[in-house]
This record gives sequence, C-alpha cells and structure tokens, in this order.
Amino acid sequence: MSDTAPELATPFRERAGKALKDDFLQQALEIATTKFITLRREAFGDFPAGDALRDRARAIKEATLQHLDRYLDQLVDNVERLGGHVHFAATAEEARDIILDIGRRTGARMAVKSKSMATEEIHLNEALERAGITPVETDLGEYIIQLAHERPSHIIAPAIHKTKGQVADLFARELGRPVPADAEALTAIARAELRQKFLDADLGITGANFAVADTGTIVLVTNEGNGRMVTSLPRVHVAVMGVEKVVPSMTDLMVFLSVLAKSATGQKLSVYTTLVRGPRRACELEGPEEFHLVLLDNGRIDQIAGTLREALYCLRCGACLNVCPVYRQIGGHAYGHTYPGPIGILLTSMLKGAPAVKDLAHASSLCGACADACPVRIDIPRMLVELRREVSEEKIAPWSERLAFALAGRLLRAPRLYRLGAPIARLLQRPFARGHTIRRLPGLAGAWTRTRDLPAVAPQTFQERWPALERERP
Amino acid sequence: MTARAEFMRRLRAEMAKTPGLFTAAPSPRPARPRERVELLRRELAERWPATLERFRAELERVGGVFYRVPTAAEVPAVIGDLARARGFTRLVSWHEAALGAECTRGLAAFGLDVQAMPAGVPAVPERDRLRAVVAAADLGLTGVDLAIAETGTLVLLSGAGRPRTTSLLPTVHVAVFDKDVLVESLEQGGLFLEAWHEGEAPGERGAVINFITGPSRTADIELTLTRGVHGPKEVHVIFVEQGVEGVGGG
Repeated sequence: MSDTAPELATPFRERAGKALKDDFLQQALEIATTKFITLRREAFGDFPAGDALRDRARAIKEATLQHLDRYLDQLVDNVERLGGHVHFAATAEEARDIILDIGRRTGARMAVKSKSMATEEIHLNEALERAGITPVETDLGEYIIQLAHERPSHIIAPAIHKTKGQVADLFARELGRPVPADAEALTAIARAELRQKFLDADLGITGANFAVADTGTIVLVTNEGNGRMVTSLPRVHVAVMGVEKVVPSMTDLMVFLSVLAKSATGQKLSVYTTLVRGPRRACELEGPEEFHLVLLDNGRIDQIAGTLREALYCLRCGACLNVCPVYRQIGGHAYGHTYPGPIGILLTSMLKGAPAVKDLAHASSLCGACADACPVRIDIPRMLVELRREVSEEKIAPWSERLAFALAGRLLRAPRLYRLGAPIARLLQRPFARGHTIRRLPGLAGAWTRTRDLPAVAPQTFQERWPALERERP
Repeated sequence: MTARAEFMRRLRAEMAKTPGLFTAAPSPRPARPRERVELLRRELAERWPATLERFRAELERVGGVFYRVPTAAEVPAVIGDLARARGFTRLVSWHEAALGAECTRGLAAFGLDVQAMPAGVPAVPERDRLRAVVAAADLGLTGVDLAIAETGTLVLLSGAGRPRTTSLLPTVHVAVFDKDVLVESLEQGGLFLEAWHEGEAPGERGAVINFITGPSRTADIELTLTRGVHGPKEVHVIFVEQGVEGVGGG
C-alpha cells in the first residue's frame, strides 16, 4: 500500500504555488489562524500559571521518555489486568493488520471513528474499506473531509479549507436532497446522520491524547462528544496510540489538560475529557465488551536517541501551525503528508525518513514562532536546521543546492574572503538591483528570486562602516 | 504483529543510547491521596460560596445554565419548567441511589415521562430496550461527582445505576449537585483522581470518567460556533443549597 498522498504527484513548489493562488484558501487561512492565535493568547493571558505549567508539562514528557520502557510496561500490565488487550505494532502495516484482524474476528461491518491523527497516519480507512468494514469519521470536520475524499488540512480543524457552500454540496450529494448552506443546519444534519451510525456500528476506533501508566487509562479529548459515543455504544473499542503518548500519573495528566485546550482552541478545557479504563465493567449497563489498545512505533522508537527526540513531546494541539508564516500562506495540503505545519515536517521525517522532507525541511523561515507557541516548548527550529544538515550531508538534496550551501559555508567561515565578498557582490548585482532590492537573478540563482526578493548589498556594509563608527565612539 | 518482548527489547536498545542525558522528573505524587482529599474537603467547606460563584461564572461562559434552589424538593419544578418551555416530555435519569435525590417521582407531576436507570444490569433484551429509550430521550438527569470551578466542569463517574449515556444521548443534560462536590481547580481535581484510583476499584465503579465542560460544540464549518453536534445541545446545572444526599462521593 502506498503511503503517499495524491498531492505528492507534484513537487512541493507547485503545491505551494497552487495554494497561494487559491483565493478562498488564502482568506480561510488568514481568518482561521488569526482567530486561533487570538483565542490562544487570551486563554494564556488569563492564566498566570500557564508558563510554569508549560515547563512542568515539558519536564514530564522528558522524564517519561527517559523511562519509557517502565511506563509502557506499567500501562500494558494495567490495561490487561482490567480485561483489555494490548497489541504492539512496529509499522503502520502491522497496526492496520491488527485492527483488521479484530474487525474480522468480531464480524464487524461498520466502524465509527473519533478524530485520530494516528489512524490518519496509518491510512486505516482505506484498509478498512478494502476489508469490507465501512469506516465512518464522526468528528464533523473529518466527516466532511471523508465525504470529499480529502485529507485534513489542519490538525484540529481538518476542514478549514472548505466553504459552507462546498460542505452543503457534499451533504446534498450524500443524502440525495438539497441542503441549506448554513453552519447550524449542516451541523444538525450531521448530528442526525451520524447518531444512527453510532448506534449501529460494531467497532469504535479512537486515538488517544494520553494514556496514564499508573491506572491503565486512555484519555480522549473532544468538543463534539463523538469520543464518548465511540467508546460507549459499539461492542468493541480499539484505541490506536503512538508509544510517546503515555504519561506516568493522574497528577501528570492534569498538568497536560491545563495547557492542551488553551493551546489548541483557547478553551480552558475542551468540552469532553473522557477517561476510559478497559472494557465495560460488570456493574455497567453499557460500554464495549472488548477493549483493544494498539501501541504504535512507526519510526518513533528510532528517535528516542535520534535528532528528532523532542518531536516526541508533541501534544498535537496545532498551535505551531497557526503561528507559522509558511503554514499561514500555504495551508496543510501543500505539505503533502498526514501532519502539516512546522511540527509536521519533523513528524513526517520521523515516520518516513529524511528523504521525504528534502523540500519541506526548507519550508520554514526559522523565525521561532512555533517554539514560542508550543505548550511543551519543542525547539522546532533547531531540529529543522538539523534536518537541513542531514538532507545536505546525506546527499538527499540536489547537487546544485548542496554546492551553493557548501560555497556559502566556506565563505562564512573565512572572514577575509567574506570581506572581499561585499565589493564583488556590489559589482555583480549592478545590472539586477533596483534600489535596495534584487527582484530577479539570471541562471540557477533565478530559482531563488522567482519566489522571493533579495535585499541588495548596501553601498557600505555594516562591517565596512564599523571602523568609522568605533572612531566616533566617545 | 510484533511480540511484546521484541517490541520492548527494541525500545530498550534505543533508550540505552541516552543514559542519564535527561534528568527531569514527573510530578510528585500525593502520598495517601484519600486522606489528602478529606483534608481538602474540610478546607474547601469553609470557602464554598466563593468557589460556587466562580463555578457559576465559568459554567455560563461555556454556555451552561445555572440554577440555585434551597432543597432537593425544588428540583422537579426547575426541570418541569425547562421541559415545558421546550415541549419536552421524555426524561431518563440515573438510578435514585446514584442520584441521591428523590426528584424523579416529583417529575411525573410535571407531565414528564420518566425512565430511571436500573441499579443492576438486566439481561440483553432489556438493556437494548433501555438504550433505545435513552437515545430517544429529550432530557437526561444525572448527579455530579466533582464540580471544578476553574473551568466550569462537571466530573461524572460511570458505574452501577449511573450509565455513561444519560449525560450524552438526550438533547438536554440536567445535573444536580451540592457544595460537597465543589473544588476550585484542575489541580485539586487531580487529587480526587488519584484518590479514586487508590487500590482496587469498588465493584460499583464503571470504566469511564467524564469531564463535561458545557454543551457539545463544534466550529468545524467556517469556524462558526455551533452547539450540540453529537452530545447534548444544552447543559443545565442545579445547585441544591441543603444538599443532594448521596450525590457525589465516588
């Protein structure tokens, strides 16, 4: 099975170019990301303890990874003690096979899913369909995306690239009757459609925002209530989670809950936080008879001692997407993989290897806004620079790019050569510079100026001015 | 599928490459959380009015509706009024023992068709029937195990006589609570979670704990905030001054 999205048939540059020309997308991105940024800022502005809690959250992630074997063992033992089953998947394919097996063994024909990036990552829906199990996404945004046969364009708002008119058209096609292009009416239609599916489904599939090792609890955070439906109504519940989602205790969990929703949507807490401990207990009227936890590696374990270790702290809140000047311009689809945005570049490299991000590694201005917004302070820019180095050193990048960077590196390391550079550059730029800007360069260098302006070398550089400035110092 | 031993062996091999590199520690766990919870309860009992006021403000901020009545006897009238205003008649509720209050009987007087959940677990056909009744209900009445003022959150434990879906499937969720379950912060809530998980779970405890912060919502279509996409469209929370005996406690 192919792990590449259809978007990848065209190179990143073209995908980004297409996004930049899409007027609705540009408007939607501007409105959505600005709104998310404002909501997040207000939430933390109201919350003086926020900074200390973010430090705490980061420390817990660090501590958990340092003893990940101990916490995973504890989690697995507890889930099994509670009557659940735990499965170990080294790859996406193994994870799919495990879930299909569960589906076949239990005679499942329909699976309702609550939003889960992990199941997006392993491309579960296509596999379920081929096995004759109908997957139904129940998060409203994911449901829209599924009807449109697309992929999410934002980690927490999967359908922000769609207009309500487009959503109405999709619903009309699905239902075979006209529907009004009104958010409230469309939501009511989705409620009615999906309610029946929750009641009819055999299988409930979720991800996990956290898992508490000490108690064997899976934690789901949703606003719509679909996570509760999916874990209460079908007779089998399967939770798929990356190994890094485990946290030691309930006390630790509360630290994460205190920062997660504020970072994602600016809410103090999402509407529903659901703590699930294994299957239905004997005293309960309802709940799944079977509970399965699928622990997913898929490239994560390799990074425990790797350059991307810190990316394993990620809570999937989406805050770094909203503040990223690149994401804000091109949106999620242009990235071409399951996880978009700055953290998405790192996660894509983690799951698919550095060659998959040879272009994306450069889709960042390294401005640091992502690290600033991250609830667990992941140093995304540092790892992006690492990735660029890797892409260059492993000869993944094209020779022209490597040559250019090698020359630039040589130049920057040799002060004399560098000083000589300014007058030479002034001479060379003369035919191209207009005022302080170079808008077009010939030949290979033209690839750079096609999408960017270059500041011209000044008549007198700072270095050249420095001796005079120092003489004037009182 | 990879065997547990092989999976963990690979994990340990990678972990061995970074010994002692990271020194952070997880949060210190409260020792004897049940005792700490009792201490906290006593401490909170002295300042509950301020906690309640903050809870009310936060609940309203997330779109919940707050009521305050002197005794449990007034609860049916509040529910009766809000049901009549919406033309609702079908109510499902937690079992009387789980709810603590005897308000279900009084509800019939307001023309409500009440189905209380059983304390035990009946055979499958009856369970299927009850599920259909809950799915068709207009109102779901539950107790509250914790009310967190910082966020306006209701915490509900599932278990005997307190099914998960009473607060999920009906169009409107109504919850009754009193000052005994009020806490100030998520952090204090964490202490209760630790206490609830200390030792083996009691037989009447279910597998799920829900934190509910206002009505179900989405903003997935053009970021337009819409209530009640899958869960309840409205959440009404009734505070009983004299106490709802038996509600809460976990």
